[in-house]
Amino acid sequence: MASEIYPSLAQCAIVAAAFKILLFPAYKSTDFEVHRNWLAITNSLPLWEWYYENTSEWTLDYPPFFAYFEWVMSQVAKLVDPAMLRVYNLEYDSWQTIYFQRFTVIITELLLVYALQMFVDSAHGSTSKRAAQTAAISILLSPGLLIIDHIHFQYNGCMYGILIASLVLARKKSTLLTSGLVFAALLCMKHIYLYLAPAYFVFLLRAYCLSPKSIFKIQFLNCLKLGSGIIAIFGVAFGPFALKGQISQIISRLFPFSRGLCHAYWAPNVWAIYSFIDRLMIVLAPRIGLPVKADALQSVTRGLVGDTSFAVLPDIAPNVCFLLTLLFQAIPLLKLFTRPTWDNFIGAVTLCGYASFLFGWHVHEKAILLVIIPFSLIALKDRRHLGAFRPLAVAGHVSLFPLLFTPAEFPIKTIYTIFWLVMFLMAFDRLAPAAHSARFFVFDRLSTLYITVSIPLILYTSLIHGIVFGKSYEFLPLMFTSSYSAVGVVGSWVGFMVVYFTS
Amino acid sequence: MAGPSPSPHKPRRKAKRVAGDDGFSGGRLTPAEPLVRQPSFPLAAILWPARGTTSQWELLPLILMAAGLFRWAAGLWGYSGFEKPPIFGDYEAQRHWMEIATQLPTSQWYFHDLQWWGLDYPPLTAYHSWLCGKIGSLINPAWFELYTSRGSHDPALKIFMRATVIASEYLIYIPAAVVFVRRFSRLSGVASWTASVALVAILMQPATILIDHVHFQYNTVMLGFVLASMSSMLAGRYLWSAVYFVAALGFKQMALYYAFSVFAYLLGSCLFPRVNIGRLIAIAAVTAISFAILILPLVIGTLNDVKRGVDARPDLDGPRSPLPLFPRVVDYLDTEAFYYPIVEQLVQMVHRVFPFARGLFEDKVANFWCALNLVVKLKKYPSELLQKGALLATLASITPPNLILFFRPNKLLLPLAFATTAWGFFLFSYQVHEKSVLLPLMPMTVLLAGKHGLGKDTRAWVGFANLLGCWTMFPLLSRVDLKVPYAVLTLLWAYLLGLPPTSLSAYFQDGSSLLVQWGTALLHGAFYLTMIMWHVLEMFLKPPVDKPDLWVVANVGVGAVGFSLCYLWCLGKLVVESEILPKSWFRKKVKAKTQ
Repeated sequence: MASEIYPSLAQCAIVAAAFKILLFPAYKSTDFEVHRNWLAITNSLPLWEWYYENTSEWTLDYPPFFAYFEWVMSQVAKLVDPAMLRVYNLEYDSWQTIYFQRFTVIITELLLVYALQMFVDSAHGSTSKRAAQTAAISILLSPGLLIIDHIHFQYNGCMYGILIASLVLARKKSTLLTSGLVFAALLCMKHIYLYLAPAYFVFLLRAYCLSPKSIFKIQFLNCLKLGSGIIAIFGVAFGPFALKGQISQIISRLFPFSRGLCHAYWAPNVWAIYSFIDRLMIVLAPRIGLPVKADALQSVTRGLVGDTSFAVLPDIAPNVCFLLTLLFQAIPLLKLFTRPTWDNFIGAVTLCGYASFLFGWHVHEKAILLVIIPFSLIALKDRRHLGAFRPLAVAGHVSLFPLLFTPAEFPIKTIYTIFWLVMFLMAFDRLAPAAHSARFFVFDRLSTLYITVSIPLILYTSLIHGIVFGKSYEFLPLMFTSSYSAVGVVGSWVGFMVVYFTS
Repeated sequence: MAGPSPSPHKPRRKAKRVAGDDGFSGGRLTPAEPLVRQPSFPLAAILWPARGTTSQWELLPLILMAAGLFRWAAGLWGYSGFEKPPIFGDYEAQRHWMEIATQLPTSQWYFHDLQWWGLDYPPLTAYHSWLCGKIGSLINPAWFELYTSRGSHDPALKIFMRATVIASEYLIYIPAAVVFVRRFSRLSGVASWTASVALVAILMQPATILIDHVHFQYNTVMLGFVLASMSSMLAGRYLWSAVYFVAALGFKQMALYYAFSVFAYLLGSCLFPRVNIGRLIAIAAVTAISFAILILPLVIGTLNDVKRGVDARPDLDGPRSPLPLFPRVVDYLDTEAFYYPIVEQLVQMVHRVFPFARGLFEDKVANFWCALNLVVKLKKYPSELLQKGALLATLASITPPNLILFFRPNKLLLPLAFATTAWGFFLFSYQVHEKSVLLPLMPMTVLLAGKHGLGKDTRAWVGFANLLGCWTMFPLLSRVDLKVPYAVLTLLWAYLLGLPPTSLSAYFQDGSSLLVQWGTALLHGAFYLTMIMWHVLEMFLKPPVDKPDLWVVANVGVGAVGFSLCYLWCLGKLVVESEILPKSWFRKKVKAKTQ
């Protein structure tokens, strides 16, 4: 009669909230100003001008639901400090503004706590409930969310809460429709979740719109419900703007294709490895007689900022990225279509996240949460899943370290991440049941070796590099971090692909 | 914070047995966990998965990391005197001492510009400042430049200073606390998981974090040495305990609050149950040698400066000024002798460390004198009378606990006796600072690791003392805008231990007498309500113009009464647990307390 599992999510959330409030004066990135500006725009301008306003360089580039969300918060902000709601008040950060904005992140994160509780409640049996509770707490205390939301500043906790709620709703036949609609609403809040949409599309198509017995029988009523629901949600989000003919303006804001292949510093994906090999080739190419493009050599930034141009390897076009992403999303979706179980669905969502993160154009390192968070829900399924999850947990979080570069936040990001890794990898190790099929011995050893390498890497990037080189060669630690993390993410992706198709 | 929990899967490694591996448990097995079905307060719930299967070597690093994270995050807030010219605050004092210690010849440390945070702590603080200053100067020499660095609020310097506090604490206080909790819990028959819960509660104690890591000071170094001294007493290593206590005194004179108890216990253990003169002589000798080693660098530095012709007081011309204390001594000494600069140096040090010339109390402190001052204006009495009164009252309050400890040198009584003595000093002695409440709080809080330490009675009282202690420091903290870390850290700790205002679960336990239960609950309840009311009033109401200090004064009055209750509780518990009085006197009470 294991009625209650300790600690409860609420208890962890309270302790975590205390820590997050203590982090109020910590470093905050330009995203803080971005969101302040959006509060100001939505509060002080009529709806029709939201997507045209450009006093600040941080224009509104999230879909309308997020803008509505900002508008709601701005109604409270008015009472706290009206000065933050003036569009021209750039870089305004009175302590009231900081308290208010930081506090909204903590409050809206309650949605995540609620969704995680839904996830725990949806598990059956005391063993799997205990596993679900541990996985839920690991997401709640995720260093990724701590670094990105509570220090760097964003609202991912709230939105991943919506995502998890939608994923959990997909577990039961009766709530499939709600799951789809919630995801549609999420897309209208932040369009990055489009990366996961293919898995939803295939799953809802197979499990909701087609008959479970035959793929040739269409359940028209379900199709109608889902279709009209989605249209209604998009109508509420984009309708007011469509009436004024602003859709093309919104799209140009949401999808700025003019950016480069790699973000400011490389997100740990395939292109990071590609760039790293290219840098190595600069040295090696002359010896084996390959031509080196001179203009790429002269680029001072060398992958630090802006466009990456390759010196030896061929340049990558956006549509190559696009095709590769689609290809690697399609492969797991085939299996999902044939066997639309919930576990396969979460696996497919995770693999869609992987594919878009690894091959996407201008991927941001923060997007790794798109992989880690859905994966956490099934990481404890058995030891094979856990084996694939482990390098991802290390690589994904280490790759977020460059987001915080101020010395005061250095102990927080490193110690907190180590704390989380030690605690949850240890807990997961005890909770994950043995797998039905054999594990890959080599893969396990490699992943242990990989995790060990992270220690000298962190030491080098944070300490040794500064002592040896001072301020010069600043790209080196970043390059090592992203290449190291890329190896881990790619490795865990390959590992999980194998697990997904063999279990 | 979900550690692993038992599962059908067998872990690869078996947890090693940890019992009896440290030589003091005498091969006894670790006491078994009590059979409790559910955690009775949130901290226990958070550590719940670590019960049974997890070895403490897996749990301890996690605890230390979590404690460190909270400390560092709290340190992101402002510090005492931040951007408050002209004189700034404790932060500037500590920084300035690093400046003095690294930039000036040793003999000038205690003489240099006394108006600007002149060094007034014993020599170990000066050496510690020297070490920190040397390390800091490697990073940025401008931080500790003579004169030009005064009042610096370089953010990088703040990070360095915060790091020195954490590093000092992790080198001294934390190992001492870990070892003390292990020894004390084993001696009291407390299981290792329960001891870990107590350790977290002790490390998350809000008062120390607020004063050291937020407001800024190095109290944990001194408290750590005292804990190490107590811990050596538990292990029966009396000589080490003397060495650690000298170190504590050498770091901060406040450790004198405990001196009587250290003395009573060490002397008592030499006399009871049988006289052991050898031990007594050894302790005396080691204490003397430790003091000698403590002042040795100062003496050598002074002699060296004399040889190089560096004057201790370059600002003074003409004849030597008289000694600040004991001016008569000069009649018997040759002021030109080689040893005279040393005498002068040591007298100056003592003079700086013990400021007899100041008043009975400096600021508003929640002790007896300040509270009495609300009723009777003490200023109209001559200061000699007040000094004598303070001395007598202090002696009266600390005699009972130390007599008990002297006649019953029982290891398990140490925290209670230390706490009672320190409360006595805090309440009645001369020149008390509100931050000194950390001294009684430390030994009282480690009671959590003892027998029934996490039971309701002890938890309620330890929690009450800590929360009241933080509350009396609120005026100090709010002066530098530290209300948010104050609220977060105290409420978090209250929540973790299931204390008011977050929960009433620490009251009304089964099995004890109704009178005691209701008495404790009503008494504490009245104080908690007062504290909450006070916060509400302080936040929304300005005090009347003719009484600008009204809120602070109210705080002081309530605090003094509450602390007196804590003193009485510690003394009462000490009397009961020492079994020094015939049992028939209060058999009923014993029953009530030990249930």
